[in-house]
Amino acid sequence: MAEGGDAEWELSKENIQPLKRGRDISVLHQALSQQQDGPSSAVCQQKQAFESELRIYNGDDPLDVWDRYVKWTEQTFPQGGKESNLPVLLERAVTQFTEEKKYHNDPRYVDLWIKFAKICSEPLEIYRYMQAQRVGGSQASFYIAWSEEYERLGNSREADKVYQEGFNNCAEPRDKLLQYHKALQARVSRQVMTTMAEKDSDEESNEPERLSLVDLKHRGKKKAIVPVNRAQAALGHNSRGLQSQGAPAPSGAKNSCFVVFDENKGPAAVTSEPKWESWAAPPPVRAKENAQKPEKWCDVKMAQKSRFGHKIVPPPLTKPTFQPYVEESDEPPRMTPCKINSAVNTVLSARKPRLEETPLKRLQEHRHLQQQQQQQETQGGKLQEKNMYCKELLFSGATEFCFEELRAERYRKKMAQETQPGQSSADPTNTETEF
Amino acid sequence: MTSTLKGITLKGSAELVAEFFSFGINSILYQRGIYPPESFSRVTQYDMSLQLTTDDKLKNYLANVVSQLKEWLFDCTVQKLVLVITCLETNEVLERWQFDIECDKSAKEISAPREKSIKTIQDEIRSVIRQITATVTFLPLLEIACAFDLLVYTDKEQMVPDKWEESGPQIINQSEEVRLRSFTTSIHKVNSMVAYKRTDSA
Repeated sequence: MAEGGDAEWELSKENIQPLKRGRDISVLHQALSQQQDGPSSAVCQQKQAFESELRIYNGDDPLDVWDRYVKWTEQTFPQGGKESNLPVLLERAVTQFTEEKKYHNDPRYVDLWIKFAKICSEPLEIYRYMQAQRVGGSQASFYIAWSEEYERLGNSREADKVYQEGFNNCAEPRDKLLQYHKALQARVSRQVMTTMAEKDSDEESNEPERLSLVDLKHRGKKKAIVPVNRAQAALGHNSRGLQSQGAPAPSGAKNSCFVVFDENKGPAAVTSEPKWESWAAPPPVRAKENAQKPEKWCDVKMAQKSRFGHKIVPPPLTKPTFQPYVEESDEPPRMTPCKINSAVNTVLSARKPRLEETPLKRLQEHRHLQQQQQQQETQGGKLQEKNMYCKELLFSGATEFCFEELRAERYRKKMAQETQPGQSSADPTNTETEF
Repeated sequence: MTSTLKGITLKGSAELVAEFFSFGINSILYQRGIYPPESFSRVTQYDMSLQLTTDDKLKNYLANVVSQLKEWLFDCTVQKLVLVITCLETNEVLERWQFDIECDKSAKEISAPREKSIKTIQDEIRSVIRQITATVTFLPLLEIACAFDLLVYTDKEQMVPDKWEESGPQIINQSEEVRLRSFTTSIHKVNSMVAYKRTDSA
């Protein structure tokens, strides 16, 4: 093709993560052309510039820098991944302002939170945490993201509830919330309609029966691991449901004595389908069949069978008849003395993700720590540790800075001021910051 | 048989291009989620599987547009076909797929078939549609219910048919534009382009 060079993005389309807001095509081209020869110096420089801006910024809107930094990172590293450092960046950004009440309903800050939640393994936890911390309580986007997460998990009832809460809290912009809520309702009712239509056609075409030696079908959009369509599960709700409404006692009709709960049909009650409310007794939400209770398995032994089908009983452990010889005088058994300091003695091994290390946990700890510090300060007691260097500045960005970098930044600023003699004395705040 | 495969006439070219638009528009509507995915069914065309709508109203509308387009292509009077995606609530234009059509008007006088095999043309068409599919990598997510509209630019002296009406260009302000591949039947050349709202203006 003539415009083969233009199609760079097409060749690496699998390596581009789609963004909700779309991508800037020129930045994308640049990023892709740089990909071959590693991160270019221009990207590194810009990153460094952002990092130092994070540290020396002393305007009244520090969130702005973080916001720009995150957006820039998203656009510049289309493939995401470790290089972009985005998860760390988002986590830092979010942690940075947990105490700043003025940002809690700032759309940019809420946006950062949502982005952060989406890269976490348990987004719902994050949303709940946000709610508890009153972050984004009056932002429509927060409720939309939360509800979408529920919907993704197939729980449209909760998804709807989240919108209700959004309305109760007067989230802004209300129009947007209304619009998305309407769209959710439309999706849910469409899903219900299609499952209904599916069932109707099933009924007409063939008697439902459970076939042997085939996979069990699942119903609806959601892929269920345990197939929901076991036998004639909820067959004929619409026909028989009305009859049995007054008489919940088991009637003679086949299989109508109990109703198997089908989670995919849950939202039917929410949407405007009055005839679906004829369930004699709604099953409890948590009803699950065949679910085994979690228990310890390490002590359980398989019964072993011999070739002839007899059970082999392992011989009972008997105590030896003799006394093993134990030296009395000796101190604990000797080992090769450990020469390496045990604190440093960490053999390299693949790190397993520890459960306690989720970002949410870290967040909570950070907050806890801050509160503790405040408490100590208010109690008059001095902190036991005192850093004699500006620790926050070194660690405040997504990457660590060294003193020299900070110093160089100051120096550059100073030089820039001196070269502009008119403004040299205009901005004394910089030099005042202690270092 | 072989002679029909080798060359291409104006009529054949018009049909090929119209067919491309029929499949192309269907693909865009499917890819961008303008209609629910379950209202599409899969067909195999140009050696790849494509989605065609099963919605009767939409089918009729598209058939109507495409047949009209075929006439204009045959007359070499059409300049552009534009698919506009607008927000259902606010009518704001969010995306604009533009197909510029260059017609070689000399084909009307000289009826001799051009030397280009259908196979090569279809290969070119395939790569255009592939690229349309790949655009999801950079296009913004359409989160809200959207509608679409088709605009056709013709030569000035054309009469407006019954079911058509004149319209504005529906340009997006502050848009990002990406040129896609083009294909040519050697009589009609189609250049494709997509424009979408700039990221920072959202």
